[in-house]
Amino acid sequence: MPQSEKELQSVMNQLSVLEPTTADTPQTSSQALARVNHQIEQQVQNGFSYRLRRFVMSDNRRFAYAAFLFILLFGAAFSFPSVRAAASDFLGLFRVQKFAAISVSPEQIAILERVAEEGLTPGELEIINEPGDLVAADSLKAAQESTGLAAVRTLPELGDPDEIWVADGGNGRLTVDLEGARAIVAATGADPMLLPDSLDGAVVDVAVYAGIQQQWADGTMLMQTASPVVDYPDDVNPTVLGEALLQVLGMNDDEAHRLAQNIDWTSTLLLPIPQEFASFNEVTVEGVSGLALNSLDGHGSALFWQKDGIVYLLLGPDMTADELVSLAGTLK
Amino acid sequence: MDELNKSDERRGDSVTTLSDNLLLERISRGDAASFETVFHQHYDRVYGLLFRLVGNRVEAEDLAQDVFLKLYNHAYRQRLFLRSREHNISAWLYRVATNMGYNAIRGRQRRWQRNMTLVPDPQGIPGAETEVEKREVATAVRAALAHLKPRQVQLLLMRQMGFSYAECAVACNIAPGSVGTLLSRAAKAFREAYEDVGGDQRLEIRD
Repeated sequence: MPQSEKELQSVMNQLSVLEPTTADTPQTSSQALARVNHQIEQQVQNGFSYRLRRFVMSDNRRFAYAAFLFILLFGAAFSFPSVRAAASDFLGLFRVQKFAAISVSPEQIAILERVAEEGLTPGELEIINEPGDLVAADSLKAAQESTGLAAVRTLPELGDPDEIWVADGGNGRLTVDLEGARAIVAATGADPMLLPDSLDGAVVDVAVYAGIQQQWADGTMLMQTASPVVDYPDDVNPTVLGEALLQVLGMNDDEAHRLAQNIDWTSTLLLPIPQEFASFNEVTVEGVSGLALNSLDGHGSALFWQKDGIVYLLLGPDMTADELVSLAGTLK
Repeated sequence: MDELNKSDERRGDSVTTLSDNLLLERISRGDAASFETVFHQHYDRVYGLLFRLVGNRVEAEDLAQDVFLKLYNHAYRQRLFLRSREHNISAWLYRVATNMGYNAIRGRQRRWQRNMTLVPDPQGIPGAETEVEKREVATAVRAALAHLKPRQVQLLLMRQMGFSYAECAVACNIAPGSVGTLLSRAAKAFREAYEDVGGDQRLEIRD
């Protein structure tokens, strides 16, 4: 036997001391499965992290579809792909600098779901480049090289992340069909005439960029990506579209009008938050304004913020928003 | 435990073969049967790997269950991306299990020396001396493993558990032809780490 094999065998013998004995026999896999199934059940019912992840990643496809199409139409897509067209006639530019949230009632969500089921579309959607697959990365360095981000930040206090994922960006274009867009607005109970005639045929280009997701064993998750960009024609008034969006999400006419005037729709990403899911409030993260979501059952929080052109989402399944803000302060 | 592994292998043979992509997709859609299939097929070996790392039945059981909970969430996360990516569930499970166990022993690394002094005096208890010595060696071995890279730990433990070179290659995402070389390097790193933690000064367990 070659020396290297002998040495390997010797190490194998040493490692054999770690083998479980009869006294260490685990519960049967059926018993273990029952426990895991119970945990899954609890997680689905109570897990803020799980629910938020599903929410962020658009698991509720029907709701997401309805809300999302309109968000895209108005030009504030967060998770939708697209591209920045070089055409000189696209002068409006949206880039995420701040986050705002609106609470959406279960009744309004049901309405949006019904709208989505009816198959109404606000125009012709062309996916030019689909966002890349979510791919595991071996290290943060590899993730940085893969995504081209200038720097990748992590949370050294938590140790090395257990999982690192990267996804390429993508781009797409929506050519607005005013009739369809107005039909969606009307179906949700909002005023369709808020959408101006000039919107017909408008071309909206959206680009999202490569991002990195780090996950730790305790469920903490950090996502970072360059801010998505939306180009829209210069004759589109984002405030009017924002007002329509607020109405679509259930706000009454007066409130929607008042609030729409107070939001900079060229830099604020509006997140619709299901009412029974979480409360939210503005926080200061790393010296900038951010949005905190707080699980209504007290089992977790999430932070959204943008700093130096990078959008961050930090999620802590068993943390308060204050604890998450503190944790965000340790980002390196 | 050999019996456990054998029964596990028998159970695995009887499972209808589905591609991992299909299984993951079904799991992500809440198909309990697919999740059960994967669970029964891998639970005992995932537990075995974790026990070797943490050395405690209850902790290994908890971690093993966490691994499968992660798989469930992982399946969901992959739902939107399944079309163009090949998945290997066993590779994923053993990698995540290794990382979780590895993190546990690294967190324990600073405490292990202190734990040595907490071992009860075996004098007067028949057979206890050998048991305590064995425990000391196991603790030193785990401390040494904590100095290795996670992939080296995974490779060594999977090989020790009887995984073939081919299975190790798939699980560790390395070329089959590299397994021998990487195992040798891992073994060398282990021996050095074992010396560093003073394990070589303890009584070795004889075969």
